[in-house]
Amino acid sequence: MNKPLSVLNNHPHIWRAREQKQNETKFSLGFPRLDKALNGGVASTGLVRIASLTGVGELSLFKDVMCQHRTHKLVVFINPPGHLQSPWLENLGLKTQQVLVVKTHTQQESLWAAEQCLKSTACHCVVLWSNTISQKEARRLQVAATHNDALCLLYTPLLRQLSPSSKQQNRPLSSAQGYSDDALPITLDLYLQGTPHALSVTIRKQRHGWPKDNIVISHKWTPDNNAIKWAMTHNTLSDQALHSVS
Amino acid sequence: MLWAYIYCYQLTLDSHNRATGRKGAHYQESCDGAINKCSSLPSSTPVVVYCSKMNKIVQCNDIAKVEGIEIGHGLAQAAALCPYVHVLPFNEENERHMLTQLAYRLYPLASDIVLCSHAYSGGLAIRLDNLTHYYGGHEPLWKTLTQALSESDVRYHFGCAWTIEAAKVLALQKHDTYVCALDDIKKALNACPLSITALAPKVIESLARVGITRVQQLLAMPVQELGRRFDNNTIMYLTALRGETFPRATLFRPLERFDNFLLLPFDVENIQHLGPFVTQQFEHLSHYLRARNLYTSNVAVHIHFREAPPMSIDIQSALPQSSVKSWLPLFTLKIENLVLPEPATAVELKCHQFEEIDSHNGDFFSDRFNDVAQKQLIGRLNAKLGDNSTFQPRTANSHQFEYMTVTEPSASEYAYACDTAPTFTFEVPTPLTQPTQICFGPLRLHSEWWHDRPTKRDYFIAQTPQSVRLLVFKDEESQWWVQGLFC
Repeated sequence: MNKPLSVLNNHPHIWRAREQKQNETKFSLGFPRLDKALNGGVASTGLVRIASLTGVGELSLFKDVMCQHRTHKLVVFINPPGHLQSPWLENLGLKTQQVLVVKTHTQQESLWAAEQCLKSTACHCVVLWSNTISQKEARRLQVAATHNDALCLLYTPLLRQLSPSSKQQNRPLSSAQGYSDDALPITLDLYLQGTPHALSVTIRKQRHGWPKDNIVISHKWTPDNNAIKWAMTHNTLSDQALHSVS
Repeated sequence: MLWAYIYCYQLTLDSHNRATGRKGAHYQESCDGAINKCSSLPSSTPVVVYCSKMNKIVQCNDIAKVEGIEIGHGLAQAAALCPYVHVLPFNEENERHMLTQLAYRLYPLASDIVLCSHAYSGGLAIRLDNLTHYYGGHEPLWKTLTQALSESDVRYHFGCAWTIEAAKVLALQKHDTYVCALDDIKKALNACPLSITALAPKVIESLARVGITRVQQLLAMPVQELGRRFDNNTIMYLTALRGETFPRATLFRPLERFDNFLLLPFDVENIQHLGPFVTQQFEHLSHYLRARNLYTSNVAVHIHFREAPPMSIDIQSALPQSSVKSWLPLFTLKIENLVLPEPATAVELKCHQFEEIDSHNGDFFSDRFNDVAQKQLIGRLNAKLGDNSTFQPRTANSHQFEYMTVTEPSASEYAYACDTAPTFTFEVPTPLTQPTQICFGPLRLHSEWWHDRPTKRDYFIAQTPQSVRLLVFKDEESQWWVQGLFC
């Protein structure tokens, strides 16, 4: 009994919390609290799943990761939920020559395209929108990404919100789904929730680290009227003075 | 040993063809005659190269041959046969330049190259036997070399034999077959007349007197017999021809610095018209630098004239660089205000200072491999998903959100930068149905006057209770619409 266990113990893929390795390359996100929770940032390779509503700043969150590393390689957007705007890309810091958009018809095609992009060695980052992903598909993308030094960001809709209500109704199905959903063999699994003034990030799972709930970061990804508001509130001059010519 | 001899019999003419071919592509409309694709010359122009020292035509093109002009004719004879013949002057130095450039081209493929010059043409000897090992046989080696030769657009005859001397005889004989078996070489060599060998005319004459006119007869004679009658040089040449001795030859070694000389096919009066020729030279430079892992921040363009002293244009770059794309704009800027004192006859690109690429950011090969990988990837995706499935978003020349991005590269240079552009826009705006709070705006945008239905919209960035940021607008009827998302 003792011997098989020791053999198992020697397996290099078994990770123990006491053997925290720090030699993995990490890309900082630029948010100190989040970086700390992620042990330095997002891993440079692998599959990262982000579950969120579309439009809560989920792409801008990865601005530093997308724009500051491996800049000679492509960033591929597969099946984006709208027309990607080039001025936005430029504001983000991506050159348009560096961006490729792939339009697909089915989910299988998107996954295939993502895998091809990762395997081509021409891509720094593959950004994929997909509704669901199975364990096997996730594993394929994860392997393709880690072997070719690329990062795959997978954006999925919020499944968590549905599950608590559906869990009560048909338990067997949802628990099976929930299991497969949580146990994806991927590098990082994030869940984003927007609050009116901040963004709350939940790390559901991360390789070589512990999950952590509700990391609140202040994230600004659109222009706002604060400058005008500030100017209005700090304006000590009277209206007359503002309009005077002298 | 096995040597191949490449006999380039019309270098000046080839260089002229190349240059006019390039020019022809630019000025196709202005030329009334159709441009002949294969010879890349205006089809009806006979061209000859004339050596004024000897008063002889030394090179002539096919059309000139049809007109009856032959190599060896005088200028008057040629002009009488064909009054509209185009005459190029023969210049030994230029020929040598061109031969050296050919050697530069072949040097990455073959290490042992010997430059030989004839009276009015040149040749290259390339040692083959030590290369077959690397190429995996004679066939692939010869294919690679001929490919490089055809890319450089040079007409040539060739021959292969055990020594340079023997190969040269076969090349002059226009043998043009690749042979590596000794018996075959011997057979081919035996058929050659003595007149094409490098023997002194006096020797050939005295041999002819005793009835020896073919190489076969000469090689059959015992060396001792000949040694009594002829001098040492002749005997050395004969043993080399036989493959018994291997005379020393100076191998070609590329220079440490870059120097490219280009003879213009016609006199250029306007400095702006030098562009295509200099581009060609910058291409050579970028190949040179690429192959040596170098950058440069300093190049010089020399423009040669008939009378006036050469004009030198130094171009400095703040950043060491290597590509044509980075050097050409600098050159164009530099020559903008220059005027040529008289028509230019040649341009020369020199580069003497190089800088090593910093090995710390040692990703030198990454972008090259990347480029290939990128093309392969796009090809593969298009093959499976359809031709229109991949595109690169480009900035268009419009201030309206719906026209800001196009999938085709836009013709205009100006790109409209906009920091309020959303990440995604929808195909058509949808009515705003959920409660939102405005966090940016208003931004009023009118459509351009030339649109059929002019619109006036007040744009806002609005946030839903779930913190989703939308690009919304209020149209002239005060209806609210959602047009995009900020991700």
